Amino acid sequence: MKRVYRAVSLVAAAALAAGLVLIQRNNKETKLYETKFFDSFDTVTSISGYAASQEEFESQTKLLQEKLQYYHRLFDIYHTYDGINNIKTINDAAGAEAVKVDREIVELLKLGKEMYQKTEGRLHIAYGSVLSVWHAYREQGMQEPKQAALPPEELLQEKAQYTDISNLIVDEEKSTVFLKEQEMSLDVGSIGKGYAVQRLAEYAREIGMEHALISVGGNVCAVGTKKDGTPWRIGIENPDLESDESYVGVVEMADQSIVTSGDYQRFYLVNGKRYCHIINPGTGMPSEYFPSVSVQTKDSGMADALSTALFNMEFEEGLEFVESLPGVEALWILKDGDIRCSGGFEFHEKK
Amino acid sequence: MKKNDVILIAVLVAAALAVFLGISLYASMSTESGEAVVYLDGKEQGRYPLEQDMTVEIEAQGKNYNILEIREGKAEIREATCPDKICVNHRPIEKRGESLVCLPNKVVVEIENGRGQNLDGTTN
Amino acid sequence: MAKKAAYMGMLTALAFVFSYLESLFPINLGIPGVKLGLGNLVVIVTLYTMGTKEACTLSLVRIVLTGFTFGNPASMVYSLAGGILSLLTMIGARKIKLFSATGVSVLGGVAHNAGQILAAVLVVENVKLLYYFPVLILSGTLAGAVIGIVAGVLIKRLEDMIRKC
Repeated sequence: MKRVYRAVSLVAAAALAAGLVLIQRNNKETKLYETKFFDSFDTVTSISGYAASQEEFESQTKLLQEKLQYYHRLFDIYHTYDGINNIKTINDAAGAEAVKVDREIVELLKLGKEMYQKTEGRLHIAYGSVLSVWHAYREQGMQEPKQAALPPEELLQEKAQYTDISNLIVDEEKSTVFLKEQEMSLDVGSIGKGYAVQRLAEYAREIGMEHALISVGGNVCAVGTKKDGTPWRIGIENPDLESDESYVGVVEMADQSIVTSGDYQRFYLVNGKRYCHIINPGTGMPSEYFPSVSVQTKDSGMADALSTALFNMEFEEGLEFVESLPGVEALWILKDGDIRCSGGFEFHEKK
Repeated sequence: MKKNDVILIAVLVAAALAVFLGISLYASMSTESGEAVVYLDGKEQGRYPLEQDMTVEIEAQGKNYNILEIREGKAEIREATCPDKICVNHRPIEKRGESLVCLPNKVVVEIENGRGQNLDGTTN
Repeated sequence: MAKKAAYMGMLTALAFVFSYLESLFPINLGIPGVKLGLGNLVVIVTLYTMGTKEACTLSLVRIVLTGFTFGNPASMVYSLAGGILSLLTMIGARKIKLFSATGVSVLGGVAHNAGQILAAVLVVENVKLLYYFPVLILSGTLAGAVIGIVAGVLIKRLEDMIRKC
């Protein structure tokens, strides 16, 4: 009997030791890697994910990088590319003909139209004619700060005539897009990036990345949790660049997206006053309600669209709007630095 | 329960508290210093400890450059050839996870290790 | 002998059910590894009423059974590490005769947590896990005391009954 017990205790000890070694092996198999690249959407993209080696991680992120570049080209309004019809192709053919486009553009424009309805025009993808005026004046103002000026009102008003979204004809069956008016143009800057990130997250899953964090210029999407099952931790940047605190707080999320629209990174100064790059379709002027608005929801394209729309709304109206949308939460940073959240927004505020 | 049991429990609770105090004391005293890590187009170019004051010229594509200055434990871009100067206007960084980004020059300076929160990403 | 086998079977089943109950209602304090350890109650009662070998057998069988039923290989290795250290500590503590069942149970609880965290440190090679140690000593003491008091009562009532067989 004694021998049996001795044998059993030996087996138990051996099982414990073997188990520990095995788990450790398993655990060591993957590590968290991060990569950054700059070739899409004029911003920095960073991808974090788990892989067994640097090589494996790079082979995965290379696929993602190419995919993102593809979306970048599709949604580009400044350049044309050989062999693909993109948003610029559509704009160039405005008033003339319908352009046959990739399914992805049809989907993007469908989202854009839907969000136009939902936000009562605060998100406006057919607002290109006015946006291009502001773009030109902002570029000019940054090149030569002393000559920085606001666009004349008459010019803005004239261009605003060509922003009727019902003149954007999307034929889903034929996969074509037609702008009825020659002067009108599309600008998908407020949703293209978010849409692309969402598709990228889905693609990451397809190629076997089940735990990843994708950020395209602060447009962040968490694929799953971290490998250990804990949520990804995302800092919300403090728009007050003079402050010592880089972040106003931290959001923990899994299978969620967060997108921030802010006035503090891309802007130009006219007579010392800051004019940001987000133009409110309601007024035709740069939005000035908040330094920044963040939106958290499942779909990154939706988060991108909503953050722009909320940036163009007064707080009370925006809050009511967010509370009416299921699964959408938002955080506003007010001009005096105060923070407001929708009911279900969970974050760890920094005091 | 015997008297010894009570003593045992008291000793264990005291030991737990002592270890806890010891750890928090150690954690507050440890001065593990961060490093400013420079990336050019996503590739690591160099690491510079924050405890050492220095100036580094980061050579970007063409004739472009950013001047990184480390002073009193903080890193900032002193000067840059980029048109928007967002990196130059950014506040100095010192805590883990903070970064300076210069898009036109494809330069990122990020603080790794050292004090600060463990963040996986930022939205801005 | 037959009666003894019957008791062992009953105790094993009891330990198994307790572990199941605990997996149904995990007390989540945000710290991995903190739990009451109802399974340990049966192990202590066995240790006092039937003996060292029986307690060892029961403990191993319980870990393997619950591991296969409710856990995964990893969780099984962790409970093995905790279980073995806890059992050895309790056997030793009982032999030196300084403590009652409560004291022995407290030491067992602390040792269980210690075993788990040491295994975790070995596996993830992260010494920072030791920061949890104070919390785990406290929770082990508390859980051990509760279990120990209950075990004391049970032992008193069951002792004569079991000894007769």
